[in-house]
Amino acid sequence: MHELCVRDLSLQLPNGKWLVQNLSFNVEPGQVLALMGPSGSGKSSLLSWLTGTIDPRLCASGEVWLGSTELTCLPTEKRRLGLMLQQDYLFPHMSVGDNLRFGLRGGSREERDQRISRTLAEASLAGMENRDPATLSGGQRARVSLLRTLLSDPCALLLDEPFSGLDATLREQIRQFTWQSARELPVVLVTHDEADIPARADILDLGKTQ
Amino acid sequence: MSLTSRWGQRVLALCLIGLFLLPVIMGLAGTLLPAFGLTPELAPGNGFAQLLADPRFLPALSFSVFTGIVSTVLILAMTLLTLVCVHGTRWWSWLSALMPPVLAVPHAALAIGLIFLLAPSGELVRLISPGLSGWERPPQSWIVPDSVGWSLIIGLVIKETPFLLLAAVSQLSALNVSASLRIGRTLGYAPARCWSRLILPRLYPRIRLTLLIILAFNLTVVDMAILLGPSNPPTLAVMLMSLVNDPGSRAAASAGAVLLGALVALCFLGMMLVEWVVARIAARRRQSGERGHGVKLFRRLGMGAVVMILIASMSSLLLLLLWSFARRWRFPDALPGQWTLTNWTSRSDMLLQPAMTTLLIAVTVTILSLLSAIIWLEFERRSIVPRIDGIWFVPLLIPQVSLLFGWQAVTLWAGMDGHWWSVVYTHWLYTLPYVILILAVAWRELAPQWGQAAHVLGAGYWRVLWHIRLPLLRRPLCQASAVAVAVSVAQYLPTLLMGAGRHSTLATELVTSFGGVDRRVIAALAVLQSLLPLMAFALALIYPVWRSARIARETGPSPSRALDR
Repeated sequence: MHELCVRDLSLQLPNGKWLVQNLSFNVEPGQVLALMGPSGSGKSSLLSWLTGTIDPRLCASGEVWLGSTELTCLPTEKRRLGLMLQQDYLFPHMSVGDNLRFGLRGGSREERDQRISRTLAEASLAGMENRDPATLSGGQRARVSLLRTLLSDPCALLLDEPFSGLDATLREQIRQFTWQSARELPVVLVTHDEADIPARADILDLGKTQ
Repeated sequence: MSLTSRWGQRVLALCLIGLFLLPVIMGLAGTLLPAFGLTPELAPGNGFAQLLADPRFLPALSFSVFTGIVSTVLILAMTLLTLVCVHGTRWWSWLSALMPPVLAVPHAALAIGLIFLLAPSGELVRLISPGLSGWERPPQSWIVPDSVGWSLIIGLVIKETPFLLLAAVSQLSALNVSASLRIGRTLGYAPARCWSRLILPRLYPRIRLTLLIILAFNLTVVDMAILLGPSNPPTLAVMLMSLVNDPGSRAAASAGAVLLGALVALCFLGMMLVEWVVARIAARRRQSGERGHGVKLFRRLGMGAVVMILIASMSSLLLLLLWSFARRWRFPDALPGQWTLTNWTSRSDMLLQPAMTTLLIAVTVTILSLLSAIIWLEFERRSIVPRIDGIWFVPLLIPQVSLLFGWQAVTLWAGMDGHWWSVVYTHWLYTLPYVILILAVAWRELAPQWGQAAHVLGAGYWRVLWHIRLPLLRRPLCQASAVAVAVSVAQYLPTLLMGAGRHSTLATELVTSFGGVDRRVIAALAVLQSLLPLMAFALALIYPVWRSARIARETGPSPSRALDR
């Protein structure tokens, strides 16, 4: 695993207002960087810039590296950055198993099926391969969504308020599941809620960097 | 039992749906009975035997199948290619702005414009002559007229692709396209593959009905086939039109209309079978985990195809305008040598009377369709009637020929043929589905709290409808009106068959005069026919903006956003 490195990132709105100016940070494998700050401070835009899906109206400059590979000019699909959003976005035309298969890379049919069964079992979702995502509970959906992201073998994980749509009990359960599953990856977490941030995390308050 | 009582309203709703289904049921009966020899006094002989004995039948049938299916496949391919290659790019807003004009232009007018572009003496040949081609005179053999039907296919693709594209775009918001693409791409999939695996499988079921309507239309279109298709063999629908005008062949025409209906039903089944197979293959491929490559060539090809369609449609419209003001335009000049207004003034009899008839019918039909749709949707909102979206599309799924041959026979029998109201009634049948389709979305989405807030303030039902609900729905009402005008202005077969030659509209005048009248006057007719819906669309765009601006002036700088809908 490699560290995620952002150098001299500046994001500017079309009206000239700076969201972020000359921001640099490193996230080591296993480390969590929590981005905090008020609404409109550029947290989600920063994640969009990292994934290469930023609104083209925003003016952006800077570099992003994963180990020795520069990602800045790579298309989104080549960056290998896993993304989890507030909504789980499980594809409704696919079963739970197909959603996970969609994330998997390579392998024979048998290997893929075995890996999915094993992964589901590890997440206490055994036997749910053929379930329609619409029939799952909120917590089950969140877990499947995270598993799908992890099965795509990302080199870093970007989380954009992934726990905010869940109720309090479920939220704690999914937090534990996430930090345990992503323990070897560099993680960037966007959140408003300090309770979402694990003890080992560094905090970067974008409201104060401006 | 008054109309304000719940039962009274149910009876009114029943009358409305009865009026809507009457021409459908009677029309189908009027086609089926003569076809099976059950009305010998009206249509003597064995229709099917007569038809099968006609040497034109089989070539016409296969020609219809070829042009109908190939054009539909191309329309679907073009729509999907446009979505995959252009959606989300900076070209998308340009394309969105250019789509409504192409959609608004009637089929016949666009077909004439296309002839001015593609014919041996058309603009394409002029642009390369004599420099590149060496032709001083129009070539004897050129791509148009072609015996295979490619001109008709091109015309159908240009006209119907924006229709399917618009239907698809209206569904995209429900599919959360940008989030799905973002997730798909972060999982490592190329954009085109994200579309094919994440968006299209969910989009297709939502545009299936529109595609079926397009397939039915392409298999049975008459006006475009007369103008763009070859005459030997013609399409089956055109051949049947020649039979229906001959009293001795009425049974054969009805039998042909039944067969055409069966052909459409068969093609629907075929399409569903193909859908099933493609869905199974796609589901299997989705599991493979192949990420695909971002092929720039594919995107460029898609963009190229879209640009070609836009250029062809826009230049066709421009050529209509040029020809309508041309005095002298010799081959191979690319532009007219002399300009004149004479084409518009010398044959005003040919332009003015059909234009007035077209306008009068279109306005009447628009008002009737809006009223019917509002009544129905209000009843539906108040749970007086159930939601029956599928029923409104029935006339669009049945070939016009199959329905109108019978409906004409019924009106003839009832002594209603050639009556202005018969024409209006039949236009209403084909306009109402589009009006309901457009209004239903906005009507159902309008928050009931607006009405409740007004009721709490003491407003009665009519006051809430007139002062709250209708103003809030001003924009979709304007759009529906524009579409109603466009649909009515384009109606060729209903006017021809129901009008019995007594009500000449721009559509009938254009098709019947083509070939026999100076092409400059034809161009003026086509421009006039295009202008009516284009003006309706422009008004539909401007009026809500003007109203909002007026409210803003009267109420201050920040009017309610709701009034700006």
